[in-house]
Amino acid sequence: MSIRVRLTLWYGTALAIILVIFAGIIYFVMAQALHDRVDAALQDAAQVAIRSLEDRFGPFLIFEDLSRDFPELALVDKFFQIFGPTGQVTIQSANIKSREIPLSQTAFQAALKGQATFESIRLRESIPFRLLSVPIRYRGRLVNILRVGTSLQPIEDTLHRLLLTLVIASPIAVIVSLLGGWFLAGRALCPVDAITLAAQRIATGDLTQRITAPTSSDEIGRLASTFNDMIARLETLFRQIRQFSADASHELRTPLTITKGETELALRRPRQVEDYRSVLESNLEEIDRMSRIVDELLFLSRADLGEIKLHWGPVQLDEVLAHIQQQVTVLGQDRGIQATLTDVTPTTVYGDELRLRELLLNLVDNAVKYSHPGDTIELSLNHMGAYARLQVIDHGIGIAPEEQPRIFDRFYRADAARAHANKGTGLGLAICKWIVEAHRGAIHVHSTLNAGSCFTVLLPLSSPS
Amino acid sequence: MRILVIDDEPKVASFIRRALEEENYAVDVASDGQSGLDFAKSVNYDLIVLDLMLPQLPGMAVLQQLRAARIHTPLLILTARAELDQRVRGLDAGADDYLTKPFAIEELLARARALLRRGSGSSTEILQVEDLVINTATHEVTRGGQRIELTSKEYALLEYLMRNAGRVLTRPMIIEHVWDLDFDTFTNVIDVYISYLRNKIDRGRDRSLIQTVRGSGYMIRAEE
Ligand SMILES: Nc1ncnc2c1ncn2[C@@H]1O[C@H](COP(=O)(O)OP(=O)(O)OP(=O)(O)O)[C@@H](O)[C@H]1O
Ligand SMILES: [Mg+2]
Repeated sequence: MSIRVRLTLWYGTALAIILVIFAGIIYFVMAQALHDRVDAALQDAAQVAIRSLEDRFGPFLIFEDLSRDFPELALVDKFFQIFGPTGQVTIQSANIKSREIPLSQTAFQAALKGQATFESIRLRESIPFRLLSVPIRYRGRLVNILRVGTSLQPIEDTLHRLLLTLVIASPIAVIVSLLGGWFLAGRALCPVDAITLAAQRIATGDLTQRITAPTSSDEIGRLASTFNDMIARLETLFRQIRQFSADASHELRTPLTITKGETELALRRPRQVEDYRSVLESNLEEIDRMSRIVDELLFLSRADLGEIKLHWGPVQLDEVLAHIQQQVTVLGQDRGIQATLTDVTPTTVYGDELRLRELLLNLVDNAVKYSHPGDTIELSLNHMGAYARLQVIDHGIGIAPEEQPRIFDRFYRADAARAHANKGTGLGLAICKWIVEAHRGAIHVHSTLNAGSCFTVLLPLSSPS
Repeated sequence: MRILVIDDEPKVASFIRRALEEENYAVDVASDGQSGLDFAKSVNYDLIVLDLMLPQLPGMAVLQQLRAARIHTPLLILTARAELDQRVRGLDAGADDYLTKPFAIEELLARARALLRRGSGSSTEILQVEDLVINTATHEVTRGGQRIELTSKEYALLEYLMRNAGRVLTRPMIIEHVWDLDFDTFTNVIDVYISYLRNKIDRGRDRSLIQTVRGSGYMIRAEE
């Protein structure tokens, strides 16, 4: 059952219940008021009659006299009866006609005790009557019983008409309000339908969809804008993933092409042992390249998902730097590249030592790779405000200004770098950037093409509280 | 048949070159788009193998500039992207065929053969003049049903002559299509190879097929 139908039904049911209660109360109050009025009128009439009887007390009461003196006694809507002390009718008004309305036993007994009695009766023709019997006593003795009566027919008619009105009008009111409720619920829920439609289109893969519905600040408006934000985030995430897997498959395709091509070529006909050997060596190199790409990609995608946890602790940066300097001696051995420590301030930062080593190693690896044989690399560590400043400076091929913003992107490799050193995945600096940012630091490059580069890393000196 | 390979990945370029050379094609390699374009404009190649992902001048631009310069050499593009739109764009820009990396060597060779065939207007792998038949796929040469063994250079020269049967081929044309850039051009080498071929094909037959056109060059055809 749709929310619209449910809302409308709830609404309708509530309204119907309220209407029934309301109608019941109206009917009851109305009936009560009408009956009270009749009783009051009867009492008035009785009083007038009694007073008149007392004025002219005597054994015989002439109705004509009474009606002459008190015209209200002759009103058509009321009749009078006067009973003797034994309960037999002695006198009665003309408008009672031939109807036989004897004094009931209860009224007679009450009259003996000096009490007045109200009674409702229904005669054979089913005309309802209201009767008031009042005892008239003289010196403690019951002399007469006066009875005033009136037809309840007008009241019953009125009440009947009221009931009819309520019975007909209430369902109409319910139906009209159901229609109104249906319409209003529909209008209120219309943006929800829009959201559903957009969600369906998004489910089919179209992440460019947005909900255009209300910009209002009500519940639906907030839902729509939350939904839009969510889709926008999903869209960027999907774009990143798509870009990333496209890059990854492209990067893996080259080593695959090489291993496949070289192997197939070697197998086309019998070769010398040295030929096989060189193919195997080349393939091994490509396999290493592929496993590096896969490792680095895995690291970065885990980093994207927030799955890489840092093992925080105090890190003695000057010691790390000294260790890195020794590593450069190994890395740069073939090409006679050395590293010097120019300025080292003893510094402790709070961070993950292993990751910080990896960061520096990546930077010096680049510095060695993009230097000319016999060059020197300078390493320094000092303080700058609230930051420890690490610098790796080389005098190698440098980076063109327009390429500098892109070198921290995944897989990006400058043209000059490709020409200079063929090996490399272009992921090293992306990893550096991630490590630095995970430490709430920053990394920049200053470089001049054909003159050299300077990579600066800033790490906060204070430990995160 | 002379082929230009344009690919910036040295290992890829190198194995493609070796594979093609084993098939007796003369091969030149350019490692970037600009030099590839320069090569293609200065030498009349029979086929160009072009990688689309090149530094500086992208492969697509090389292709467009070549076609704009009215160089209609058959062209095979290599692409790392299997995406349809890349291939369609390449073919629209005037490429004749494409291969997606990584590819099988045999497929590369088969497509190269097909494009060379298309370039010379024939539609089969068999070329025939009189009773001389060569199979460009297997490099089998027979005359009158008799098998003839040729060295790879001899075969390359014969295939070029056969592809252009009935047309006079000058010495520079032969140099351009049968030998690659590494070859030190002393034209005498052609006469030497022609005489080798004559020895194996025409000697002792009633009709000789390789003709010398005085003052201009050589041609292969049935003698009247
Ligand atoms: N010291 C440097 N001198 C000149 N260019 C550099 C230097 N460091 C980085 N670059 C440029 O930045 C690019 C990206 O560097 P990055 O370390 O991410 O990749 P890579 O060194 O090419 O490959 P790898 O993933 O193997 O480290 C390099 O290709 C190069 O163009
Ligand atoms: Mg690097």
